[in-house]
Amino acid sequence: MSNPKRLHPAAMIFRVISIVRSLIFAIGATVIVTMGNDFFNYIVLGIVGLIAFFIITSVIEWLRFRYAVVGDELRIEQGLIVRKKRYISKNRIQSIDLTQSVIHRLFNLTKVQIETAGSDLSTDASLSAVTLEEGQALRKELKYHNGEAVESEYVDEIEQDEEEQYTKETISTKRLVIAGSTSGSIGVILGLFIVLFSEVERFIPTHVYDDAMSWFLTQTISVLIVLALIVLIFLWVLGILGTVIKYGNFEVTRYEDELYITRGLLEKKQVTIPLKRIQALGIKESIVRQPLGFATLYVEIAGGEGGQNARTFIFPLLKRSEVKPFLEKILPEYQSLSNEFIGVPNRAAPYYMVRASFLPVVVLVVTLIFAIDFWYVPFVFILIAMSLGWLRMKTAGYYIDREHLIFRSRDFSKDTIMMKHNRVQSIQLRQTLLHRKQQIATVQSSILNNFAGRHAGVRELDYEQAKRIADWYSLQKRIF
Amino acid sequence: MREAPKNRIAKDAIKAWRLSAALVMLVPWALAIASFFLVHFIEVTYWYSTSAVALLIVVTYLVVVFVPKIRWRRWRYELFEQEIYIQHGILVVSRTLVPMIRVQHVDTKQGPILKRYRLSNLTISTAATVHEIPALPEKEAADLRDQISELARVDEDDV
Repeated sequence: MSNPKRLHPAAMIFRVISIVRSLIFAIGATVIVTMGNDFFNYIVLGIVGLIAFFIITSVIEWLRFRYAVVGDELRIEQGLIVRKKRYISKNRIQSIDLTQSVIHRLFNLTKVQIETAGSDLSTDASLSAVTLEEGQALRKELKYHNGEAVESEYVDEIEQDEEEQYTKETISTKRLVIAGSTSGSIGVILGLFIVLFSEVERFIPTHVYDDAMSWFLTQTISVLIVLALIVLIFLWVLGILGTVIKYGNFEVTRYEDELYITRGLLEKKQVTIPLKRIQALGIKESIVRQPLGFATLYVEIAGGEGGQNARTFIFPLLKRSEVKPFLEKILPEYQSLSNEFIGVPNRAAPYYMVRASFLPVVVLVVTLIFAIDFWYVPFVFILIAMSLGWLRMKTAGYYIDREHLIFRSRDFSKDTIMMKHNRVQSIQLRQTLLHRKQQIATVQSSILNNFAGRHAGVRELDYEQAKRIADWYSLQKRIF
Repeated sequence: MREAPKNRIAKDAIKAWRLSAALVMLVPWALAIASFFLVHFIEVTYWYSTSAVALLIVVTYLVVVFVPKIRWRRWRYELFEQEIYIQHGILVVSRTLVPMIRVQHVDTKQGPILKRYRLSNLTISTAATVHEIPALPEKEAADLRDQISELARVDEDDV
């Protein structure tokens, strides 16, 4: 593999598609605005010219893009005008992920994403299309440091009989459907639907629109409700479908020092998570899933992946009682999960309830000023908000053992986050004047993730308990 | 956690903070005074400008006289072999523990105002957070910086 190689020619197609996709709104808008205009033909000509230009540059870029594995390095040369050469040392490579979109799968290709240690995206590399065998060969070759040739043979062995050696977990289709139906993505899809409709609306001929509208308005309430229900169920099914496609064939495998996740029915995605980079383990129980006893597992990772998804799911849906066995199998480092949480004292209740009902109170005041007749609407919201505050107070708590700190909290979903002592970047205790009088304090820990860091903590904990957490953290005086 | 950290920051911090707060307050004062001239030309009552000045007097007292003093009184720090312990805050008092092994780098910074009083700010960065000990005597800040970077030997393995 020492002589430079080009990507698969399909890389050109991907490049053109991605450029066109990023410009589609600008192009679409121009076309619509100038439609029927005198310049229309010129505009179309211009767009065709532009696309031709992109195709040509894509071809040249494809010609210029070469990669090779030379000794200990992956070398990439690229660039149309500015020529770039990037040499990535094997030792610096943290993970190599193969992703296949639908088009990739048609040609039996794969995208190779190489992540290095820094959180700086510019140090990462990506090969947009190589054949699947090539991708797997690359992965194997780069994955393990040179000079340990023995190990690379060992890797071959692993790939063959990993079934016996390494534990893995998969998700059943039934679970996936449950995950989809409780995912709450219905709201997102509804939003998309509305946006889409408002875009499409202007293409519908006026008389059709008017006819539909007048038919709509003459229907009885019950028909309208049934219609709304049908739409909602349709969107719900769409949400389930989306989840099933995204997380279908989900499989997480534990190797010695990394987690390896593959998922996706249409687009196959691989994610490698080196254990070194895991900063915390989280268990999220959304307000819909919690009563059903389901939870989602995620990890906070330092560096890589880019900002959009700060947390990585390591399992889409688990029964609460299955979490512990799962962790024992897949992530024994974080298995010391306990139910003996130490909660916040009752004197913290006012803080929680006032905080939760702050916004509804503002709304109530505004309502009292402008629409006094409807005073009961925000009033009901205040009651709901206060019970949410109460719920939050009941959820809040912490647990510590020798090397783990666990915080449990709730915004709407219940979130349990488990940190190792050596992954916590700092601990802070905060007290207002009132807090000091009441002997309570807010505890907050900072951990690193690939976004901007994250704070986890418990508000208004008993001061003695807060001090206990600080003492646990302090290297000067450890209580265990 | 033990009681509050032992060491205070330089007493001159109050003067430095007062000076910088005063400089910042010059802007609203200039605007308020300008409004008197403006009122002279267009027909509005003087009430707006007068009440603005009254408000400014209160705010100036708080920001220039009161806050720096309280802030100084709260700011404390203590350096241990394995961690840094910082307390700060005006209404909300925070106490922060930063282990030495988490420290990634230490900086000292000095603007023109701090330079006047021969002070500098010390910032301690971990991978996820930044902590500050402000307004230390130049010499002390430099020593502290060297000391911390000496004590902070980050393991390769740990982020």
